[in-house]
Amino acid sequence: MSEEIRVGVYICHCGGNISDVVDVKKVAEELSHYPNVKVSKNYMFMCSDPGQQMIIDDIKQNNINRVVVSACSPALHELTFRKALQRAGLNPHMYENVNIREQVSWVHKGRKEDATRKAIRLTKAGVEKIVRQDPLEAIRVNAERHVAVIGAGVAGMRAAVSLARRGLGVTLIEQADRVGGRLLEMDRIYPTGEKAIDVVNGLAKEVEGEKAISLLLNTQVVGIDGYVGNFTLTLQTGDEKAEVRAGAIVLATGYNHYQPQEGEFGYKESPKVVTLPEFWALLKEDKVSAKHVAFLHCVGSRQFEGLDQPQPDGKVNDYCSRLCCTAGLHAVEQLLERRPDTRVYHVYKDIRTYGRGHEDYYERMSRKGVRFFRYADGEKPEFVGHKLKVRDVLTWGEELEIPVELLVLVTGIMPRDISGIIDALKLPTGVDRFLQEVHPKLRPVELANNGVLVAGCCQGPMDVIESCASAEAAAVKASILLAKGEIELDPYVARVVPEKCDGCQKCLAECEYKGALTMTNRPEGGPLLATVNKALCVGCGACVAVCPTRAIQIAGWSLDQFDAMVDALVSEEYTHA
Amino acid sequence: MKDPNDYKILILTTNISSYPGANTVGQARLQYSPATSIIRVPDPVVFPDDFYLRAFEKGVDGIIIMSSGSDCPYEGAYRRLSERVARVYKEMEVRGLDRSKLKLTTICTVCKAAFLKEIKDMQDNLAKLEQKVAS
Amino acid sequence: MKCDALVIGAGIAGLQAALDLADQGKQVILVDRDPSIGGRMINLSKVFPTLDCASCITTPRMASVAHHPNIKTLTYTEVDSVTPVGPRFLAKVTKKPRYIREDLCIGCKRCEEECILYLSDEYDHGLGAKKVVSIPFTNAIPQLPVLDMDECMLCGACAKACPTDAIDFMQEPVHEEIDAGTVILATGYNITPMDAKRQYGGGKLPNVISPFMAERLLAPHGPYGGVMRPSDGKIPSSIAYVQCAGSRDASIGVPYCSRVCCMYAIKQAMLLSGSLPIADITIYYMDIRAFGKGYEQFYQNAKAMGIEFVKAKVAKITEDEEHNPIVRIERQEGTSAPEEVKHDLVVLSLGMVPAWVPDRDGIIPLEVGADSFVRTPRLTAPNLTSLPGVFAAGAATGPKDIVDTIVEASAAAMEASNYLEACAK
Repeated sequence: MSEEIRVGVYICHCGGNISDVVDVKKVAEELSHYPNVKVSKNYMFMCSDPGQQMIIDDIKQNNINRVVVSACSPALHELTFRKALQRAGLNPHMYENVNIREQVSWVHKGRKEDATRKAIRLTKAGVEKIVRQDPLEAIRVNAERHVAVIGAGVAGMRAAVSLARRGLGVTLIEQADRVGGRLLEMDRIYPTGEKAIDVVNGLAKEVEGEKAISLLLNTQVVGIDGYVGNFTLTLQTGDEKAEVRAGAIVLATGYNHYQPQEGEFGYKESPKVVTLPEFWALLKEDKVSAKHVAFLHCVGSRQFEGLDQPQPDGKVNDYCSRLCCTAGLHAVEQLLERRPDTRVYHVYKDIRTYGRGHEDYYERMSRKGVRFFRYADGEKPEFVGHKLKVRDVLTWGEELEIPVELLVLVTGIMPRDISGIIDALKLPTGVDRFLQEVHPKLRPVELANNGVLVAGCCQGPMDVIESCASAEAAAVKASILLAKGEIELDPYVARVVPEKCDGCQKCLAECEYKGALTMTNRPEGGPLLATVNKALCVGCGACVAVCPTRAIQIAGWSLDQFDAMVDALVSEEYTHA
Repeated sequence: MKDPNDYKILILTTNISSYPGANTVGQARLQYSPATSIIRVPDPVVFPDDFYLRAFEKGVDGIIIMSSGSDCPYEGAYRRLSERVARVYKEMEVRGLDRSKLKLTTICTVCKAAFLKEIKDMQDNLAKLEQKVAS
Repeated sequence: MKCDALVIGAGIAGLQAALDLADQGKQVILVDRDPSIGGRMINLSKVFPTLDCASCITTPRMASVAHHPNIKTLTYTEVDSVTPVGPRFLAKVTKKPRYIREDLCIGCKRCEEECILYLSDEYDHGLGAKKVVSIPFTNAIPQLPVLDMDECMLCGACAKACPTDAIDFMQEPVHEEIDAGTVILATGYNITPMDAKRQYGGGKLPNVISPFMAERLLAPHGPYGGVMRPSDGKIPSSIAYVQCAGSRDASIGVPYCSRVCCMYAIKQAMLLSGSLPIADITIYYMDIRAFGKGYEQFYQNAKAMGIEFVKAKVAKITEDEEHNPIVRIERQEGTSAPEEVKHDLVVLSLGMVPAWVPDRDGIIPLEVGADSFVRTPRLTAPNLTSLPGVFAAGAATGPKDIVDTIVEASAAAMEASNYLEACAK
């Protein structure tokens, strides 16, 4: 389309902030002679309403079809000016913001002539960029207003209910024959002391109450394909397979308890050694009659390479499992409620009762006469002949032998094996093998795979409260994605000029994002054509750098634009007073 | 001898990290040479090897690539960028350009001192090179 | 003013909640009593356990909020009352006067440059100075100054310098009413006061500082441009951290654990170690609560870097004639005889208390726990408060680190949008 290119250039005074250093009138004057520039003005405050109106009037009345504003940083008003262009009926991407305040007038105060020349060349570079700019449209991908939640423990149920209430359809998939996950193993939970089964039943009732939730028990996920807005999950229930289409996926697959190895602190060698979950089971049935019970903390967590036995995958669990200190003390409280005469010993490294109401357990158990012994990092206690041997640093490093009738290993947690799902979607996991979020602070419940969210312990140890918060956070992210039924993505992704592509596939080799680039057959025959999936491309430009024919570029950030900018930047005479 | 403030230095910055970093320098009113020009991109991995060589041909004295480093949201981009810079260095040697004219560094959104230091270092470095040629 | 959601507090929790609501098309009004959004996080140096720059994480959120078409931000505004009206809420707020015309100000800082009077800067926690009229800090949003009328000499230098005539010495507080469909409390925390514990110097020892002051010393645009101790500017070579200085201590009314102090002390110790490689850094602790993702590894790294961890109860802190703090400790390992150890600088790892206790002043009729934080009655919906339609997130519901705060803020946004859905039916 050979429409005449008509650029409007606007230089802002910024109330003196720019004009005190940069001779804005001179900049406007110089630019008025520059190729393709039809209008070149200077004004007090471009971001003000009259300033914006000036641009709109020039678009409507002077047929300006590209705009450059030299003013403050785009961080402030790029959006403002793009909207002004939209109001005037022009594509908002036909706008370039040149920074002559934060990056010129404010940093070159004593050198006005040089600052003015810099403003001129930066503005010229801006013109060169916009002259080579095409109108861009936001990428719209149809999205299924449906979410697949994998796992119906506390986190999965919580996410499903929140999503359903928001108006989205949910398929809640659970491999066991009932909902509730590992909460069903517990009797009472901290910090409220309420019964775990009541918590599960409460959530289960909420799930039942939401018609939009389709609960599938005894069901496994055997295949996942697709991308954000358009995932296809293959499910298997018994012998039957079914497909579910979802716009987003919430993983709530939970955890496994750490299983001590045979011989680890006497586990499996002695009947007197149990794990914390096994202790819960005994407690539920009031089967704990031992008079001396010891709790050994950090079993399966805070491990050291070389000191602790690695797991089958060769790694040790160097992380803290977060929940066990409070869970252990809570278990003691329940034990002492039933058997107040029991002598309890806690052998620990640090007591991590960090949460709201958790410290109270520590306080109360101390007051009830529970004895605490501390061992140093790197010096593991031993269970030998019914005695727990520990070098207690709290009593001047004395070697103690605690006679125990029952030793409870306060075990931590590990992620469940969901390697099928991880492989299908190429999901990232951390060194600790839990699922790895994009950024712990900026995006704590999102995975790098667009549209895949995490809730609860599949991401890391968390208690019921934290799991529910994380599940709701995942739900809100899915809601944001899917609420409109279509997903709008920034247009700054790769695009290919078919005539220039010769099918060499160098771009494909550079691309880190599975599915973003593929080579497809052309209907007219000839070399394979590099084809971009706009929903999967993140616009990094790695492919652009290796294309020998410059067939592939990032929309809005093309190499031709940059080359022209560099030309404009170096061709200016640099005066020096 | 040229005034170090006259060396034409091209600074490539990233949208999320070093471009806002340059703005922070401005907000603090710290001063540096006006012979610098800043271009912003999503990620400098987009520039092919010949972009840098062409820029030098066109008259740029020094190029500083201010990447996002560990803040970079793009998989594998930083690695590719450093590998590319290593290749460009070899090509620069072939053309008789000292490799110190191209610098790869990381600048965050508030790294004011580091930003200024990179420019000063490049200027000092270019001056040294000019001296070497003169002598 | 009318909106779907009123978010009280524009720290990281408020910012996240506002964005998650606005991104769903809800109209949000975000209110903060401070002149800038960003809360406490924008003030920090780096954050644990990744040592990301705090500003780099907070400023994009702040910018997103500032530019979001669905979010209206009211800064320097106090909430006077929030009253339930049917399923909705009526909030009465007071916009405090900045003495600046916001519609005219362009953020050029001429007023600040021309002002001749300096004040103690609360963003530098007393370590630095600012002008009477100033933009609170470099990345403040909005970039609008505040004039401290109590200290102002009314000399008019700022008004003369202002290119848009935006100074208004006669500005009055403005009272507004907001009709909101739902409310989110993201009111954050304060640290326990420096003078709470007499035994630790009662806030009077110049080289016994708060963790916020330490953050400012370590921050990239800090008051001294480096780490120096307040009394004489000496670069400290022996620094001590006193853990649980404002928590797990019934005697000062804070029996609970403040959750973040172990980690921030370790973080600051690592940063100090980086900027003062020869310094000795000791952390006196009761338990090291490195419980979160990546936290234990961070702790082990700190140990490997040579930071000394001493399990000891700090009984008392005094100082000598040169203001060198002397820490009296009872080691809990090894000998238990009390020792006195001299350091150059001591940082008290103070705890967290709620920044806003809404029912104390009758502002909003909801329940708080015994710890004065907002009570959240439902385990499986941890953002619900005792008042339907009002949700809470972040440090408002108890001491919290940044990650958990951000997750809770998103969760509160989910509950709030579901509440709006339910009300609409």
